[in-house]
Amino acid sequence: MNTSDERIREIGFFRNIFSRPELGSIFGLLIIVVTFMVLTSMSGTFGAMWLNPIGIQAWVELAAFVGILAIGASLLMIAGEFDLSMGANIALAGHSFAILMLFGVPIQFAILLTFIELAFLGFIIGTIVVRTGLPSFIVTLAFWFASRGFAVFLSQTFFNQSRLSVKPLIKPPPGGGEDPTIVDNIFAFDRAFGIPFDAEVYYFFVLVCIIAYVTTRTPYGNWIYASGGDPVAARAVGVPVARVKISLFMISACLACLLGVLTVMTSGASDPKAGDFRELHAIAAAVIGGCALTGGYGSVVGAVLGALIFAIASRGINFVPFIDNNLFRVMLGMLILGSALLNQFLRDRIVKG
Amino acid sequence: MTPTIEFKGISKFFGNIIALKDISFKVFKGEITALLGDNGAGKSTLIKLLSGVHIPDEGEIFLYGSGVKFNSPRDAVNSGIGTVYQDLALQPLMSVSRNFFLGREITRGISLDLKVMNQITKEEMAKLGIDVADPNQPIGTMSGGQRQTLAIARAIYFGAKVLILDEPTSALGQKQQLEVLRTIRKVKELGEIAIIFITHNDMHAKILGDRFTFLNRGRVLASDERANLDMENLRALMAGGAELDKLETEFGETYR
Repeated sequence: MNTSDERIREIGFFRNIFSRPELGSIFGLLIIVVTFMVLTSMSGTFGAMWLNPIGIQAWVELAAFVGILAIGASLLMIAGEFDLSMGANIALAGHSFAILMLFGVPIQFAILLTFIELAFLGFIIGTIVVRTGLPSFIVTLAFWFASRGFAVFLSQTFFNQSRLSVKPLIKPPPGGGEDPTIVDNIFAFDRAFGIPFDAEVYYFFVLVCIIAYVTTRTPYGNWIYASGGDPVAARAVGVPVARVKISLFMISACLACLLGVLTVMTSGASDPKAGDFRELHAIAAAVIGGCALTGGYGSVVGAVLGALIFAIASRGINFVPFIDNNLFRVMLGMLILGSALLNQFLRDRIVKG
Repeated sequence: MTPTIEFKGISKFFGNIIALKDISFKVFKGEITALLGDNGAGKSTLIKLLSGVHIPDEGEIFLYGSGVKFNSPRDAVNSGIGTVYQDLALQPLMSVSRNFFLGREITRGISLDLKVMNQITKEEMAKLGIDVADPNQPIGTMSGGQRQTLAIARAIYFGAKVLILDEPTSALGQKQQLEVLRTIRKVKELGEIAIIFITHNDMHAKILGDRFTFLNRGRVLASDERANLDMENLRALMAGGAELDKLETEFGETYR
């Protein structure tokens, strides 16, 4: 920094490009898109995957679903924490919502109460992590079992079934022709635009914009990075590390809640298997997107690109009949490993200067 | 002149251990007080008393002549005590200006005012002789000496009137050590800040110190202005007296 200006600009320019956490996932996305474009051309399904609205819908909706969770996963990973309970919380939220409605609670209150319940759950998880100092991996593993277990226990107890249908309570009966309610407009506008995307897709888009802004341009975003980078140093300069972490567990639980409620709204039923393994997909997306498990590094936009990579690979494999479906998992595994290696390399470049 | 901060008869006990006993010394603005002593002499305990981590069991601390009591680190910071610890409390992956303002960000509406933050960081670093070309680059790209300077500049900007530097040169290479010494001298030249410079290195103390306080086994061994001290004998005082002579003769003349 004491050398001449020209030299510094030069280094700064390259460093600016190479120090973005998203870099790896941008490359990854390009590779995946090109690969699947080539593969689908070879099997004559290019149009079906990339041009046909239903084909596009398939991978965009999956990307949105995994992406919404990946937002939470990446925020927590940046703060040096981890949430395995997200997938299970989707089922808990869906079931809570369905049970409330079956008990006759009006739909808007049912949604509100479900969000309060999940926010409270996130608060409990976060508080346990912060107060006990147990690794969040362990604490959220406990809730990975507990949330889904509790959801199914409730529905078995009250309704003697594990899958809860609420269709008549959400949508007007066929041929009824009623105007959609406000709640329908907010939570299930699945026919709003040209391509009939599920509501997830729009939520996903809005959430990404908000969270990307918050993480990069607000003090709170700064604190998230600092809490994961060096919590002791962060506390020393007055960052409320404990509160930041608890709030992130609450956000993570609320994102799961959003998905749980949306799934029930669009499918008309709450499935006890809803969101199964999605927490791992979200964490995979965050890792592909450049988040470090050790905290302090990563980006929400990267995680979102990671979710897109995951979704294209996951759905794309169905359009390529000459590759075995099981190979998808092999490919995904290699993708995670490769991204993690690349991201570690990029991160080291920053620290070593 | 009233000392910026004064210790009078300070003692600190941990159970039956006498960590510090009857410590008195003064620190003036625009001066560097070198606090010297070997491992276990009580230097870190003293810093912790100053920065509000511990509360003294005996004696009094005076800030600008009036008695004060720091009940927490926050208390000490609010009273203008800035402590720069060895680990510096920096985030290596975050940018220079974000580190500078971490925990005390400047905002416009809800957003960070990065432009103003960058500008202030540049200005404050320039005051201490470091030209930060790009405040947006991660702090991991700075040298150890520059990071030390950043931590010092941050403490000063946020109102430190007493700057406590805990072995700022100990983890650095030769060139970077000199950079830090230059920074400390710049802080002194600002004229407003009282500096407590804790070090192991008698050379560095000799270069910068205006006053010297030597600690040995929890007590003040000697405390005086530069003019009244035998500068050649610093090392012996640092090591707590005569024992060092014997060791040094073992290594012969080359050691001196």
